[in-house]
Amino acid sequence: MTSDNHRQSLRWLDAHLHLLDRQVLDVHGVPVAVVDDLELSDIPAGLEIPRDAPMPTITALLSGPTLATRIFGGRPPKSRMLRTPWVAVREVGVVIKLSVGRDTRDLSWTERWVRDHVIGRIPGGRHTPKGEESDHAQSNDRGGGAS
Amino acid sequence: MKRVFGLALGILTAIGGFVDIGDLVTNAVVGSRFGLSLAWVVVVGVLGICVFAQMSGRVAAVSGRATFELIRERLGPRLAVMNLGASFLINLMTLTAEIGGIALALQLVSSVNYLLWVPFSAIAVWLIIWRVKFKIMENVAGLVGLCLIGFAVGLFLLGPDWDELGRQVLQKVSTGTEKTSTYWFYAVALFGAAMTPYEVFFFSSGAVEEGWTTKDLAESRANVLVGFPLGGVLSLAIAGCAAVVLLPELIGVTTLSQVMLPVAMAGGKLLLAFIILGVVAATAGAALETTLSAGYTIAQFLGWPWGKFRPPAQAARFHLLMMVCLLIGLGTLMTGVDPIQVTELSVVFSAVALPLTYLPILIVANDPEYMGEHVNGRALNGIALVYLVIILAAALAAIPLLIITGAGQ
Repeated sequence: MTSDNHRQSLRWLDAHLHLLDRQVLDVHGVPVAVVDDLELSDIPAGLEIPRDAPMPTITALLSGPTLATRIFGGRPPKSRMLRTPWVAVREVGVVIKLSVGRDTRDLSWTERWVRDHVIGRIPGGRHTPKGEESDHAQSNDRGGGAS
Repeated sequence: MKRVFGLALGILTAIGGFVDIGDLVTNAVVGSRFGLSLAWVVVVGVLGICVFAQMSGRVAAVSGRATFELIRERLGPRLAVMNLGASFLINLMTLTAEIGGIALALQLVSSVNYLLWVPFSAIAVWLIIWRVKFKIMENVAGLVGLCLIGFAVGLFLLGPDWDELGRQVLQKVSTGTEKTSTYWFYAVALFGAAMTPYEVFFFSSGAVEEGWTTKDLAESRANVLVGFPLGGVLSLAIAGCAAVVLLPELIGVTTLSQVMLPVAMAGGKLLLAFIILGVVAATAGAALETTLSAGYTIAQFLGWPWGKFRPPAQAARFHLLMMVCLLIGLGTLMTGVDPIQVTELSVVFSAVALPLTYLPILIVANDPEYMGEHVNGRALNGIALVYLVIILAAALAAIPLLIITGAGQ
């Protein structure tokens, strides 16, 4: 927890209790992913760790198709994981809030593909249902808050 | 004034929204076979759904988290994926049953075979989800669903022997040839129908959809605590009608028209028309709720953007998933499977999935990190724990009873 962005850096975080399986929201309150795994800074494998070596830190939150591997064991290839750098984390609470917008490149390809090829092409697919907008003016930072 | 109106509207919607095809069919079947001797299950079930629905609503209002996000956070991926699988399949079954219910009700009006109404119903459900505002969708279905009050009216018009009905409520074991195991099988089914998990998925996700905050807590509590019990009264009226007319004649309920037969006898065509309208609205409302719940559960589990308040393109996978679910339901019905049987099975399987759904809600409702000062009180926790025991017992008993009784045959 080296990042200055992290306001609550003095609080204990239990990786299992506070990070894994938490919902990640971007700066606009749009769900990005659920934390499936954590990326830690390298600990050299097989070498003896010097006594004064720095503690490993969390470098990124990982999301991806880990469901099967967390249940049955193993690990999916790194290329399939969606990586959210730890410096982008603004707040760890009941949800993990990011300080960045959800860039289109970060959207997993399935969401993008479904949007561009299926949902976006059906008439009305890009419109908000009538009158919905006004109800969600103040709910930006809540769980399913409006974008 | 606006608040009072909102409250009244909420309560009315809760009454109309509580009864779905599962409650309609199960209550009528039970009434026609056991009279009112299982009425206590409806009371227990209604109290249970009140406790947990208002808890999940409060969690959603205070923390902004819907139920399935919590299920994954608190149970971990292994147990949660089991729950997701079970809930999703049951939800799909319920969805199928509800669409079948709309089609069967429309068949009664039109004399056109229900299979022709099935695609129409599924497309109508999809269009409503695609375009209609959440609040309007909820209110219209709930208010028109109030027509089901016709069952209560019908019961009074039938002029039953109230003492006899009272005796049925108090006598513990069934009359005549029914076995004890069948009695308990239907007890579990009624309990499952009253406490169907999709109700809390929908209720908590709906709270997020409507952007509830702590200010809305009192209103939501009133909706639940008044609306659901009155919905339970409707359920009892359905069972009562069947008990008065069908039980003495030994007519078992196997079709939707038999559910409505007592009302038609009591109130004639006009009341029947009223009831059919109510059934269409109630099943359509429940079809919307189960379709949305299918999307909510998976999207919340996997962290996808979800919600009707977003344009569909911003919750693309959520909307695609709901379309696929509707198509599966449509396809299942088109095979000619009897929607009433699907309904009966779905309420029993609902009972199986109850513990894994309600436990995480209770845990999080006690977590100050989420709830701040709005954590559960002791009395509520006491009641909820008692319910967890009942729920667990019902869940464990459901499958064995299903097998022993041959699905209540």
